[in-house]
Amino acid sequence: MSKEVSEEGKTHHGKDYVDPPPAPLLDMGELKSWSFYRALIAEFIATLLFLYVTVATVIGHKKQTGPCDGVGLLGIAWAFGGMIFVLVYCTAGISGGHINPAVTFGLFLARKVSLVRALGYMIAQCLGAICGVGFVKAFMKTPYNTLGGGANTVADGYSKGTALGAEIIGTFVLVYTVFSATDPKRSARDSHIPVLAPLPIGFAVFMVHLATIPITGTGINPARSFGAAVIYNNEKAWDDQWIFWVGPFLGALAAAAYHQYILRASAIKALGSFRSNATN
Amino acid sequence: MEGKEEDVRVGANKFPERQPIGTSAQSDKDYKEPPPAPLFEPGELASWSFWRAGIAEFIATFLFLYITVLTVMGVKRSPNMCASVGIQGIAWAFGGMIFALVYCTAGISGGHINPAVTFGLFLARKLSLTRAVYYIVMQCLGAICGAGVVKGFQPKQYQALGGGANTIAHGYTKGSGLGAEIIGTFVLVYTVFSATDAKRNARDSHVPILAPLPIGFAVFLVHLATIPITGTGINPARSLGAAIIFNKDNAWDDHWVFWVGPFIGAALAALYHVIVIRAIPFKSRS
Repeated sequence: MSKEVSEEGKTHHGKDYVDPPPAPLLDMGELKSWSFYRALIAEFIATLLFLYVTVATVIGHKKQTGPCDGVGLLGIAWAFGGMIFVLVYCTAGISGGHINPAVTFGLFLARKVSLVRALGYMIAQCLGAICGVGFVKAFMKTPYNTLGGGANTVADGYSKGTALGAEIIGTFVLVYTVFSATDPKRSARDSHIPVLAPLPIGFAVFMVHLATIPITGTGINPARSFGAAVIYNNEKAWDDQWIFWVGPFLGALAAAAYHQYILRASAIKALGSFRSNATN
Repeated sequence: MEGKEEDVRVGANKFPERQPIGTSAQSDKDYKEPPPAPLFEPGELASWSFWRAGIAEFIATFLFLYITVLTVMGVKRSPNMCASVGIQGIAWAFGGMIFALVYCTAGISGGHINPAVTFGLFLARKLSLTRAVYYIVMQCLGAICGAGVVKGFQPKQYQALGGGANTIAHGYTKGSGLGAEIIGTFVLVYTVFSATDAKRNARDSHVPILAPLPIGFAVFLVHLATIPITGTGINPARSLGAAIIFNKDNAWDDHWVFWVGPFIGAALAALYHVIVIRAIPFKSRS
């Protein structure tokens, strides 16, 4: 059979996927490529649209005059989760669809993006967030200012430690879902059809919001918290701002470590590269 | 594959693959950017699939308006919001219906159901001018009929409760309403472009299973955000249908916002996708 003959020269190790090599830490060659700048623009636009739709939904809900007049907290959670689904779907092929500095940080720790790209993405995301909330303020100025500006703060009755823990675990759920959805091994098992990757990511965001909106309004996205804090510019929003950076970054770190070292056992595989067993 | 006749695909892409697989001229890409649609294509008029596509747009927009405006009327006539499906239910009606109808109509007409989507795809040269105009006319007629049926069910309540028409709410300026419509339509049309992109189809192994889902979600999400501002147009046919059947001054006063805003948003989305994301004008003519 011709298939056997053509396969004879190939090392058949039993896997139909290949783990991509670690991204170089510094890859200055990226700076000369349009796809790099296109990715930055895509992250900026995606985060802008994300913040505009979600914060507008939050302000619209808070503006309600009677019970059930707004979209409800469930509607707000849908706005966040659904928007992540749509934007990851649109942007996945352009920039990887991060829309979140914590996701970028987690993927950087897992060596899936270079340092240059990671920093560029984070800056673009923060700028996009500021512009997105700026649009909301421009369109609904008075209710924006009087109804909390969609900013993340620790709610009454919860301590900063509790809020930090909620942010850590919430971001762990999100970034862990991102790692699972983009795992090359899973892609192979799903016949290399990545049609469904954005959906569980969006649902993860939706469900974390269901759980932690009462605690912090749910950050789990430093750009989202930063954008709202900048435009709202209220003392309490800034007092608590550190929670919405430290928490998500710790959660992303934990998710990266869990996926890379425990689930994929990459460290052990690296050691195993010295063994003669090719089917490892 | 060369002989296979593929008439209308998602996004009304009419041009089949001309290069048989396996020939030496095949490039290393497994997708090919379709050539720009001609501005006028008289041959279309002789094809049943052209007329069928317009009829599909009419029926889809008719059903869309019927379900959504009837949902709006149900919420409006309820004694209090807690006794109805609420604002979120209205948003689900709009988004969910777009998902279902785009799924049904994608293979027939491209599943636009929205003049702004048709306009955006026309600007990106995905369909001809004759087809674009025909679709928009059929969408508007379908919208009028859909809202008309809702009025037929409850004539007095329909007129007393605003008829589901889009107007700019108290406390918002026309500029805010226009801005909300522009950005809302940008989200929708950009999602449509992403869902129908040739490069994406190739990467997804040409399995466009879920293209309608993000489009429906985009509509749902924009409704969550802008129902308090304008009742959310982002679909000129939807706004026109309700305005014609309701036919009161306040609906017509603001009506221009619901055509100018969506068309600007669609144009921006077309520009962003074609020039920034795909960089089509800058690629060499191979």
